[in-house]
Amino acid sequence: MQNFGSNNDLDEKGHVMTDQPKIKVKFEPKPKPSTCPICTVEYYQQFFDIEQRDVYMRIRCSLLSWKPEFYQCVGKNPDLWGPLWISTTIIFILFAGGNLSRFLLEEDKRHFKYEYNYMYVAVLIVYAMAFIIPIILGVIMKYILKSELGVFEIVCMYGYSLSVYMFVLVLCIIPYNEAQWFFLMCGLANSTIFLLVNLWDFMKKNKQTTLIAVPIISFNLALILCFKFYFFRLIYAVDD
Amino acid sequence: MTDNHQVPFGSGMFQGQAKFVDYAHMNQQEVQVNTLDEPVMDTLLRDINMILYKLSYVIIPRMKETQGRKLRNCKRLDQIKIGDLWGPLLLSLLLAMTLGINSNQSSDTIFGTIFIIMWGGSAVITVNAKLLGGQVSFFQSVCVLGYCVFPINVAAVLITFLQSYLGFFLRLIIVGAAFLWSTFSSLSFMSSMMNEEKKVISVYPIFLFYMFLSWFCIFI
Repeated sequence: MQNFGSNNDLDEKGHVMTDQPKIKVKFEPKPKPSTCPICTVEYYQQFFDIEQRDVYMRIRCSLLSWKPEFYQCVGKNPDLWGPLWISTTIIFILFAGGNLSRFLLEEDKRHFKYEYNYMYVAVLIVYAMAFIIPIILGVIMKYILKSELGVFEIVCMYGYSLSVYMFVLVLCIIPYNEAQWFFLMCGLANSTIFLLVNLWDFMKKNKQTTLIAVPIISFNLALILCFKFYFFRLIYAVDD
Repeated sequence: MTDNHQVPFGSGMFQGQAKFVDYAHMNQQEVQVNTLDEPVMDTLLRDINMILYKLSYVIIPRMKETQGRKLRNCKRLDQIKIGDLWGPLLLSLLLAMTLGINSNQSSDTIFGTIFIIMWGGSAVITVNAKLLGGQVSFFQSVCVLGYCVFPINVAAVLITFLQSYLGFFLRLIIVGAAFLWSTFSSLSFMSSMMNEEKKVISVYPIFLFYMFLSWFCIFI
């Protein structure tokens, strides 16, 4: 017989009886209804779920561009770290290296004029190449050509395809015309082959080879022409 | 005669009340109340001392991670834990002015560029660390990154004053040393927050950030 008295009586087991029956109430914090899921950090964390070992493997995959192994490297986990920081590194190399290359050619080193516009043009070109063009291509591929590759995988692939330019542009600081063209051509070949080889299955299946290959090749070609004729142009002093 | 006699505002009354508050809040409350009627010099000197105290952490780079963790978690270093933005603001202004004064063209472009890179860069690095899963407080991280720009400031000022005596390679050495010093200063703090497998990818943006800032100092 239990009575819930308010004095501190003992019940038959020797426990102190209290006013209320002993009900265990577990307080769980209610999850906040997110009014703006895109605004939280957690939404974007899924795009950065990567370790340094993965980044090394993916860059290695892109440098050995003739092997169509990128999807095995990426698995189900494409990331945004690679595209973002590879393109930022390239912007820095263009800005610093372009100015350094002109400085090495300059005869009168005291009157060297630093070109700050390089940074703004570099930001525009490289981020367009790394993000805007793959998003457009990905949207066309996914929604018009009905591929199973998402927009995000295409952005990831384009980002890692630019990784060869990190090394090529450092070598382009050497102020010799032929050397610069040689390195840029190597970079172009590597980057284009990487993209085409990894998209080859899709292109063959849908028989849309020209529609995809032509924009890829032409945008890559435009990119290296920009590199050569804006950042690394060699202006020799004219003798009177 | 009662104990609670009337005391003038700000001098003793609030100190008596503050002893019931716990230590973490007492600092802030004491500081907030007493700054109302103390001389301006005292306030300024206290802020300057705080900035110099934090700078001492930058000047002697703490290589070991345990020290970085201590810096982050130490409850007695309330001010470092809270983080202030005065120091980084002063340092970024000094750097932007030094580089702007010396450039022979478009000094307003440089001023704006340095500012944007410094503050935007710190924000991007912190967001990157958060997205990679680090337990980092936004302002604390921006504060540390801002304070660690101090060696680059020193290099910029040195190069300004010794401009005519320094050839290109000597400048490269000075700026390189400043860059390494900055990077190592912030390294222990930032890497103590990340998992073992993500350290390199969270520290690499810091390396890029200081290299960007150092590069501006070479060509002034």
